[in-house]
Amino acid sequence: MIKRLVMAKRKRVGRLLKSPSRTCLTLMVLFGTGLVGQTTNGAKSSASDAAARATHILGMGSISKGANGRLSLQEGSLQFQLDAGRDAKISIASIQNVFCSEQDRQVGGVPMALGQAATPFGGGRVIALFAHKKFDTLTVEYLDPNGGLHGAIFQLNEGQGQILRSQLQARGARSLELADQAARVSSSGVQQ
Amino acid sequence: MRVDKNTAAAVLATALVFLGAYETQLFAQQSVRNEQWSVQVDNVEPGDVNLDPAFRVAIYENLMEELAKTNRFNQVFRSGDRNAVGRSALLILKTAVENYTPGSETRRAVTTVSGATKLKVRSQLCSPQGQVVWERTVGGDVRFFGSNLRATHNLARNVANSIKQSSLPQPAIPPSASGN
Repeated sequence: MIKRLVMAKRKRVGRLLKSPSRTCLTLMVLFGTGLVGQTTNGAKSSASDAAARATHILGMGSISKGANGRLSLQEGSLQFQLDAGRDAKISIASIQNVFCSEQDRQVGGVPMALGQAATPFGGGRVIALFAHKKFDTLTVEYLDPNGGLHGAIFQLNEGQGQILRSQLQARGARSLELADQAARVSSSGVQQ
Repeated sequence: MRVDKNTAAAVLATALVFLGAYETQLFAQQSVRNEQWSVQVDNVEPGDVNLDPAFRVAIYENLMEELAKTNRFNQVFRSGDRNAVGRSALLILKTAVENYTPGSETRRAVTTVSGATKLKVRSQLCSPQGQVVWERTVGGDVRFFGSNLRATHNLARNVANSIKQSSLPQPAIPPSASGN
């Protein structure tokens, strides 16, 4: 029975290879499907590039401190979308400064801290030595409609903060660094 | 059980006295509140200290939060807020960082005794004319538990408490408000 099935399959493949038009058609269909798959994957990745997992540290009044969500750039604004569904936006035009710095933090929160404290013979200290992770901190200074200065701080995975900062700067967010560079360029122009 | 008339009268009189005292206190509180200052929190000056911008912003935001909690001020305005322009009873809180010791959460967790993050700032409450009405050097740190940014929260709380405990001069009543 199995032999019969294998033979039948071999015959079908053989027939396909014998006829060049069929072979071409088969290859085209297979190649085309692959291309379509690649485009969809590519589109998905470019859309998700903009959204990064983030934790709100402080500054967004409507959102509680320590809330987790996704930070992305959408239609001229920096959007923090909570996992629960609510969101808060900062208009890119209102951003006065963007900074990115790196911080080293202990992971695990209160349960981990309690576990470390309960571990005998100083074992908690050894755990603490390895239970830390580097994060990026994205700091955004922006103005409200009344001209009042606000500051918001987000914690992102290592490397994400710098990417988001560059994207913000590319979309027109002001930055002290950019202003300094412009001043340096203009001063060098004056000297020449 | 029968209640004596005299006892009932005494109870009633006591209740009336307490009610009167409570209302007087409420009125006094209201009048004090009417003469309260408003405050505008200025941007934090890092000075010569190499301070992480996240710390500068965190100090500013925590000051906004903690000053609002004190109930010492009618309103707490942000730096640059146009609503604060032209207010007579307005103080400006200026904060300059004097000292910053960067710490490490991991070092704190491993050694307990080292790795503390310490901040020291000079805070001034100035009148719109530039006269300093209150000045203190306040510190804030995180020694055992919590992230490094927690030092900014502790610092802002200490500044707010310090303002709450000190007496500020009465705001000058403008001629239009006094009815002249």
